[in-house]
Amino acid sequence: MIFCAIMEPAVQVENLVKRFGTFTAVDGVTFAVERGEVFGILGPNGAGKTTTLEIIEGLQKPTEGRVSVLGLDIQSKTSEVKARIGVQLQASAYYDYLNLTEILALLGSFYPKKTAPGTLLEQVGLSDKAVSRVGELSGGQKQRFAVAASLVNNPEMVVLDEPTTGLDPQARRNLWSLIKEVNQRGVTVVLTTHSMDEAELLCNRLAIMDHGQLLAVDTPRNLVNELEASYAVKLTMDRPMTMAQLEALNGRVEVLQSGEQDDSAGEEGENGSTKNTYLLRLANNPSALRSMLDEIAKTGLGLENLQITPVTLEDVFLELTGTELRD
Amino acid sequence: MVALTLANIKMMARNRQAIFWALFFPLMLVVVFGLFDVNGVGSADVVVIDESEGPNSELLLERLNEIEFLELESEKLVFSEAWDKVAAGDLGYLIVIPASFDDPTINTEVNLVYSTRNPDRNQLVDGAVRNLVSEIQSASGPVVPAELLMADVIDVPEVDYFDNVLLGLLGLGIMMNSIISIAVRISTFRNQSILKRLLVTPLPIWKFFAAEITAHVLLALVQAGIILSLGVFVFGGHVYGNIFWVLAITALGSVVFLNIGFILSAWAKSPAAASGMGNAVAMPMMFLGGAFFSTAALPWVLPEVAQALPLTPMLVALREVAIESEPIWETWPYLAAMGAWVVVTAAGAVKVFKFS
Repeated sequence: MIFCAIMEPAVQVENLVKRFGTFTAVDGVTFAVERGEVFGILGPNGAGKTTTLEIIEGLQKPTEGRVSVLGLDIQSKTSEVKARIGVQLQASAYYDYLNLTEILALLGSFYPKKTAPGTLLEQVGLSDKAVSRVGELSGGQKQRFAVAASLVNNPEMVVLDEPTTGLDPQARRNLWSLIKEVNQRGVTVVLTTHSMDEAELLCNRLAIMDHGQLLAVDTPRNLVNELEASYAVKLTMDRPMTMAQLEALNGRVEVLQSGEQDDSAGEEGENGSTKNTYLLRLANNPSALRSMLDEIAKTGLGLENLQITPVTLEDVFLELTGTELRD
Repeated sequence: MVALTLANIKMMARNRQAIFWALFFPLMLVVVFGLFDVNGVGSADVVVIDESEGPNSELLLERLNEIEFLELESEKLVFSEAWDKVAAGDLGYLIVIPASFDDPTINTEVNLVYSTRNPDRNQLVDGAVRNLVSEIQSASGPVVPAELLMADVIDVPEVDYFDNVLLGLLGLGIMMNSIISIAVRISTFRNQSILKRLLVTPLPIWKFFAAEITAHVLLALVQAGIILSLGVFVFGGHVYGNIFWVLAITALGSVVFLNIGFILSAWAKSPAAASGMGNAVAMPMMFLGGAFFSTAALPWVLPEVAQALPLTPMLVALREVAIESEPIWETWPYLAAMGAWVVVTAAGAVKVFKFS
């Protein structure tokens, strides 16, 4: 029995449905989070990530389906689950009139097992802010404090909802290091993000969600490898290409900026790309690249810029959802 | 729960601006009422029992009616009822005109009954009535003026209008602070997702409510201490009854108003809205609950409405205990009414309260 309990996944979500009136926020989602891994839920705003997390945290009740956390049914053992997990909410403030040490001590008093505030602040590099109030912290420090607050009960699993949203690049990297450190201590991490690089860098496995549905679950590497196309090619021409010329390029073509409405080639387009720029996805096959270059030569148009990069999670997301990741 | 209560007290104590303004309003009113001579001489309500019903007694009644500061009540009372009313402070003066008043052969005394509540006014009324009786009796025959009027003075503790108002202000301060403070605080916590953050911990919900109520009731008791101290020691008000019972009633009243604050916080979409709603609920009670004047003087159905409000039984109980030195158990009907309010508002708060 003990062996079975140890082998239980950290989170088991089965056919989860959550409806708010006629709106279905989560639509038949099934996945499992293994113990000790960093599991990411990737998706745009409104994908159903936060609702899924809030059900895992015991904040909301599922309409249908079953969720167990650390082997415990979340609906019947809510309090036990809450005592064993740590949570960082997407937009949570802390008491204005208490300092960091006092807030951690207060939160710790709600749990049967707790870690000393000084130890937690040291772990997140905020020892020098022990008597400061949350309002005196920078954005990055606030997020690190939120992580410290989620660790107050020495949890077996932490749930972080968009932990790096709104942070500058340096602060994001600091927080990534902190999350990795927490995970290396054996704590399972479940996080949501709409940042591709964050998902790729931090997560052992990823679930991609959109419109309440789970589109794929795998490691970032496998998700990328499963794409037919292995390379992304970005072309910038001196003049617009015709549809027939684009189709002849032998790849899936996405027109980033056609330039047909504007002859001022080379200027920055609305989305940051230059005029007459086209994005192609090519299979991992040298002949596909050669064939594409031959076709370009046949058009008689000038090639102003050519970039070839391996496909990323961004491309996986595009492939799965048909849209770019929206904020 | 103890940790959360202590943290709540710490947070409230550090929020000095909120503390200042919470105390400022009732204290300002104490100062205003303390500085102005609200007791004044004022008009005097009088019941006359005319046992003579002759021309002289009618003349006396007529002349009494002409005196501006005397208000003759038309109520027909027997002597003992009128005496009790004077003793209880519900009636200012009782004048008894004896049956022999119109008999010129008998030297009769008019009986004037009053309490020690308002010495300045007593002097004025005593003098006016004595002069009138003397004038009427002298016209009908020679008399000794000193024997014309017998004054029965009922000795009661010195209680004046300010004492009543001081307790009204205490109730008002506790009501305003409890309703608005908790409504704004909870609304702020909800807007900042602090309530949601607490909800992801294993803290039972009842402990959250209990800690908030305990901390606010303690604040209300401190507030009561400050208001009463200012009223008594600076402006000469009186509290005759047991101060611990006064504080117990204050605490019970505070719980009712905190529950109302919890309900309002559930409906308010922002702290500013919570503040506005708190004022909208508290202001009518301030005027209808009997904080400054008797609710019996209200027109239409308002006296009945006033009786149904939670501030009214709190103020009656406070006045009976503090001014009339009644033991707290003698005020049980009012405590029961407040208890019913606690139950009803608590049920309402539990039903409508939202964490997010």
